[in-house]
Amino acid sequence: MKTIAFRESLKMGLRSIASNKIRSALTALGVMIGVAAVIALVALGNGAQRSVEESLESLGSNLLIVYSGEPRGASLVRRNTTNIAPTLTAADLGMIRSLGPDLVTAAAPESTATAQLKFENTNTVATVVGTGSDYPQIRNFYPIHGQFFTQIDEDTRKTVAVIGVQVYRDLFPEGMDPVGQKIRINGINHSIVGIMEEKGSSASDGSVFIPSTTYQRYISGEKDFAVINVQAAGTEIMRDLQRIIENEILRLHRLPNMDTADFYIANQLDLLSTMQGVTETFTVLLASIAAISLIVGGIGIMNIMLVSVTERTREIGVRMALGATGGDILRQFITEAVIISLIGGLVGIGLGIASSWMASRFGGMAAMVSMDSVVTAFAFAFAIGLFFGAYPAYRASKLDPIEALRYE
Amino acid sequence: MSAIIEMKGVSRYYQMGPTTVKAIDEVSVDISEGDFLSIIGPSGSGKSTLMNIIGCLDIPTAGTYRLAGTDISDMNRNQLAHERNRSIGFVFQTFNLLGRETALENVELPLIYAGVPPKERRERAREMLARVKLEDREDHIPNQLSGGQRQRVAIARALAGEPRIILADEPTGALDSKTGVEIMELFHELNQEGVTLIVVTHDNDLARQAKRVVQIKDGRILRDVPAEEFNL
Repeated sequence: MKTIAFRESLKMGLRSIASNKIRSALTALGVMIGVAAVIALVALGNGAQRSVEESLESLGSNLLIVYSGEPRGASLVRRNTTNIAPTLTAADLGMIRSLGPDLVTAAAPESTATAQLKFENTNTVATVVGTGSDYPQIRNFYPIHGQFFTQIDEDTRKTVAVIGVQVYRDLFPEGMDPVGQKIRINGINHSIVGIMEEKGSSASDGSVFIPSTTYQRYISGEKDFAVINVQAAGTEIMRDLQRIIENEILRLHRLPNMDTADFYIANQLDLLSTMQGVTETFTVLLASIAAISLIVGGIGIMNIMLVSVTERTREIGVRMALGATGGDILRQFITEAVIISLIGGLVGIGLGIASSWMASRFGGMAAMVSMDSVVTAFAFAFAIGLFFGAYPAYRASKLDPIEALRYE
Repeated sequence: MSAIIEMKGVSRYYQMGPTTVKAIDEVSVDISEGDFLSIIGPSGSGKSTLMNIIGCLDIPTAGTYRLAGTDISDMNRNQLAHERNRSIGFVFQTFNLLGRETALENVELPLIYAGVPPKERRERAREMLARVKLEDREDHIPNQLSGGQRQRVAIARALAGEPRIILADEPTGALDSKTGVEIMELFHELNQEGVTLIVVTHDNDLARQAKRVVQIKDGRILRDVPAEEFNL
């Protein structure tokens, strides 16, 4: 038995679509919006993921953060350490530093407090960070002007300060070089040795960095640190290093296990994977919403194809009388549905890419169109034409030619 | 002349609830190649059912129907479709041309389903339109043609697949009498060229123009006579 060539089905489908342009366009619109939504929303999801990864990477690389306080798991947001009693000791820091360059490339304590800053007659309130000279390296955050304080400054409890960009703007007249100037931090004079680069977050830009020893004496009056930042020698040793530091601090603090610990360690890898999990869920959610609109578009196709089959009952009868088999009719209508769906899909891809571009260009949103989502959306458009065209086409193919010829 | 159509005791029953309606009942008829037959009867006589069976649109409930030696009595839908494509050329009262397609494309239709390649298809469709003297109307869509022209396109379409028989259902029913006469003249010409024709009608005058008249009443053949012997 012969079946008609695919080319003939294609021609019939195109002709039918061309003779019902508005209806075909409206039907394709449903799929178009669905495909565009899938591409644009997945692009936004991917963009969000990328920007989260970037901001985590900007924290520094291979970063382990030892926090004071009870273990709380990998936390997303840096905890406010101001109100937590510091539990990390100089011995802890010394132990970490003594692990050697094969494990630890840098370590710096970090304690923060809010303090009043004064330059001449100008006042501001800022976060004072007591830390070590390795801080810039660990946090990938460097002075843009002047320099960071040194190990010697730390050892000799020098009253020196490195200020964030926001602090500079708040305290100093525009254009004035602050290096060498003195500011008062809680009434104590500190010499400014540098300004940090702009990071875009108020936590970094609105801070003043001073040696941890100076901080302990003049700000907190305590010997312990709230936080110790550790830079691991490599990504692959991070989890091992975390375990080593945990065990060592437990031993120094004379604690049996992490369940009773007065500290915990956040691992940048864990943060990253937690965040990736969140943004992946977010992307899947967006894609699902978009997929729903794609299905609605498919139902639109089915609806119109059912109307079309009814309207063209007599045409179907004539074709059958002239020798069309049920299969020929089936292919004709499915082809038509798939063409409409693919046209919608193609235009939708263009629209999706365009709207992603506009979202990032004018909406300030991070959007990354992935080739995967384009291919998937197109394949979906095809499958939807096939799936939702199948039932109307099946109905058409099962018509009785005698009844169909009699249809008015 | 050999028999193209051999029907022996063909019946078609419909089940309407508890009652069985015998649309045609034990009809036996032979039709030879080159014949020009009219089937006549009032509406409800069963002539449409008989036409549907002859045209392979339906199969008999009982009896045997051989078309060109092939028994079609228990063919499935696909086989019937191929048989229609190969052996039957339909001409309808209301022409049943596809309104969006040109005259030429309408004539090509049965050839598409026969799997004839496009170039050859086009050539044959052109020949057929020339045969019904519409070679200058190839690119017209049905709306741009008169009723008579449309029916001639439909006849060209019926001829295109070189079927065994042309089956015409009230072919002049939607035409004025002058155009109707022209169509019948065309049928006579085709018959003289050797085409086997069956015209189904309720019009006695039209029926008499055939060579042979089969009169149906209540699902049975009442008379089967040469046209010159047919009168009321």
